[in-house]
Amino acid sequence: MALALIQMKFAVLRRDLSGPRATWVFSGAVAGLAMAASTIAMATVDAPDLGTVRDLLAVLFALWTLGWMLGPVATGQPVLRAEQFALQPIPRRRLALGLLGAGFVAVTAVVSLVAFAALLVFGLRLGTVPALVSVPALLLQLTLAVLLSRLMGRLFGALARSRVGAVLGAVLTATMLVVASSGWIVFSALDAVLRTGFSPVFSTVVRALPSGWGAVAVEASARQDWLMTGLPLAGLVLLPAVLWVAWNRSLGPARWSRPTVRGSSADRAAPRGRASLSPTGAVYAKELRTYARDPQRLQSLIVPPVFAVLSALVPLAFGSTVFLPFMGALTALMGAATCANLYGQDGTALWLTLQTPGSERADVRGRQLAWIVVFAPLSLLLTAAGIAVAGQPDLNPWALTATFALLGGGAGMVPLVGIAQLTPGPDPRAAKNAAADHSDVAGQAFSMLFLALTTAVPALCVTLAGHLLHNPSLLWAGVPVGVVTGWVAYAMLGQAAHRNLRKRGPELLFLMRTGKQQQQPKPGQAGASFSKTLPVHRQCLLWISFLAGCIALFPQALVPTLMKLSGHVEPLWFLALHMRPEWQWPTVFLMYTIGVLAFTVAARIAFIAIKAARAA
Amino acid sequence: MTVRITSAEGAPPPAGDNQHPAFELVALHKEFGGYAAVKRAHLRVRPGSFYGLVGPNGAGKTTLLSMAVGLQRPDEGRARVFGIDVWEEPERAKELMGVLPDGLAMPEQLTGRELLTYLGRLRGLDRDTVDARADELLAVLELTGDVERTLILDYSTGMRKKIGLATALLHGPRLLVLDEPFEAVDPVSAVVLKGILNRFVASGGSVVLSSHVMALVEQLCDTVAVMAKGQVVVEGPVAEVRGGKTLEETFVELVGHHTGGEKGLSWLSR
Repeated sequence: MALALIQMKFAVLRRDLSGPRATWVFSGAVAGLAMAASTIAMATVDAPDLGTVRDLLAVLFALWTLGWMLGPVATGQPVLRAEQFALQPIPRRRLALGLLGAGFVAVTAVVSLVAFAALLVFGLRLGTVPALVSVPALLLQLTLAVLLSRLMGRLFGALARSRVGAVLGAVLTATMLVVASSGWIVFSALDAVLRTGFSPVFSTVVRALPSGWGAVAVEASARQDWLMTGLPLAGLVLLPAVLWVAWNRSLGPARWSRPTVRGSSADRAAPRGRASLSPTGAVYAKELRTYARDPQRLQSLIVPPVFAVLSALVPLAFGSTVFLPFMGALTALMGAATCANLYGQDGTALWLTLQTPGSERADVRGRQLAWIVVFAPLSLLLTAAGIAVAGQPDLNPWALTATFALLGGGAGMVPLVGIAQLTPGPDPRAAKNAAADHSDVAGQAFSMLFLALTTAVPALCVTLAGHLLHNPSLLWAGVPVGVVTGWVAYAMLGQAAHRNLRKRGPELLFLMRTGKQQQQPKPGQAGASFSKTLPVHRQCLLWISFLAGCIALFPQALVPTLMKLSGHVEPLWFLALHMRPEWQWPTVFLMYTIGVLAFTVAARIAFIAIKAARAA
Repeated sequence: MTVRITSAEGAPPPAGDNQHPAFELVALHKEFGGYAAVKRAHLRVRPGSFYGLVGPNGAGKTTLLSMAVGLQRPDEGRARVFGIDVWEEPERAKELMGVLPDGLAMPEQLTGRELLTYLGRLRGLDRDTVDARADELLAVLELTGDVERTLILDYSTGMRKKIGLATALLHGPRLLVLDEPFEAVDPVSAVVLKGILNRFVASGGSVVLSSHVMALVEQLCDTVAVMAKGQVVVEGPVAEVRGGKTLEETFVELVGHHTGGEKGLSWLSR
């Protein structure tokens, strides 16, 4: 039985690797392997005290394990789920074993195994015995990660059924995201760490976490400290055993039922106010009701502000208030990302829009309006609070400009990305008892982050110009420019979205019904996607250059520029700032050049492919 | 391929609404990756007709009706509602149609009344009209009282069909296109639905419904078309199509004999 499940997972994997998702799987694997390689590299660094390398590995393993725990949030539930086998007379234990085994049959597991091999490299470096200790340790660490991931999936699934649970799940998700994305702070100060080691408290914490036990055992065996070798290894056997029991139990019948949300009574069903009388107002009222009633939507609403506030609080630990004024802008940006799949979440309900003459425009505008009404007060409030607390007046024009520009840009991009990159998932009613059973929206959310950010670039350039020229009126002119570009993005991207919806409505409905793109699009017609005409290696090149362009242009060029100009230099992982002073500006310009070149390559591939698709 | 029992085909009818067929599908064709789900199918529905489209599972009924109402783009062919092309003038055509697709979602987080109010306003109907029609529809379809505050997400299949029919009727269409309206509906609710549809036809409306329950089509419809393997194999008045036999017998003959169900499965006998 367990074997059959593992074979099923292999079949799914084969399909993923040859199907339309192959590009995503492939680029994900490349990125993952790059990270795994750097993990192994960390096991080889020189430090006066080997304990530092051990701590470094413990930190990395903690981040990998956290990544596994966060997985289910981004990618939805695993392909094989216990519910699918509810009617089969399979003993629960065998089912648990099979589903767990299937969890190992994944690209992510292979990538993690490569990363965890850092422990073996570390062991080999220390001698024969540590190398022997490292093998069971790394396998147990991987088992631990997979088990934790599965259990988190069950937990998020259970939480997402109710609105209270959705809020809890949102806070949990945001916290884990912040911890995971703050991990790089450690590596920004790698030189200092290697010289002096971590602070005793930090070192104790990372070693105490189960993700660090393997590293502790390997290092202790080199010192022939058998107690500290045996204890963590025993822990690595015991903890997965306990989690295994919990995993077994979690597959049983649901312990509590989904709380029922009630709608309005007869006399309150019709939304009040003159605005709601228009078609756009009707959609707006429907959307607000959905935000209030649907646990999934509520989660999209809670994650952004919690993420923004926590992200701004982490630097406070180092005495930096620099992120505080940007909490509002970050909320708007994350709000766009969490709402990137609004159309996909509604499933096949799109048919009603298609069947109602001329309602596409109202549908898009109403959704935009609801998004703005939900996120604008939150963002503006957080920006105001951040500005008040931070007390860094020179950051205020930046923060205000970014907030206004991103609110407009987000409201414009939400329907456009939602329609253009719709990710089909289960229909809402099919998933009503398993709300976490959504589609894999990670790719869509990432492209939303990037696209929404680009809408803010023009306004921020004005602020930058004002800063460079020491011209306060130009500096502050960024704010009204942000309002204007925000408004333009709202209006124009919204228009592009409803035109797109009108043109491709039936194809989108087909995609949501079947989960497949419409076959054989007519030449020149929208829906003729170049992703089908482009060979896989060209697609990979396209995505890699796009990614390289993003990294070079934004964090490696734009951010160091801003830091150097503002005088707040924090080298972190910005290459230019690690160079000698006279080389810093040339490096920044090199990064601009690389970014522009990479984008040119990506655009060229895409352009040729679109032309080919049109001509086909 | 289509066997026409009536003389409906011929020269295009002169202008004037009732001169046009209520619904006319001409050579609609759809392929999915080389597999033809619907093969150049024709249908013609007279104004005031109660029209049944029957066929086994997978015959292409849903694909045909989806193409006909504008939810799925056909590879070839045309669909006209009272002479108006659904794909060329969708806005005019969709004003005249009420549609109930099978198994598609609704705005699930709304109650029945909220949904009707939303759709009424989306269609630009004025507030009083929407409120009055929603009241009446919900009362007739028995979706008030205890279930007033239930979200559509929590509706049973029968309730879903009812609210679906209400959305199709809300704007006062002249043609109803219903895909499997009686699928999984309990007998009591079915009586309510049948009553509404009969009244709609009696007052001059036209109904097209698909089903694979022959008895139901015999009981309700005046005209029937049989679909098999993507083609309409016969179309005409119910009495003429069945020709002295039951519709079910005719259907099985047309669609092809299957001897399955009698042989094999030996392990089931004890």
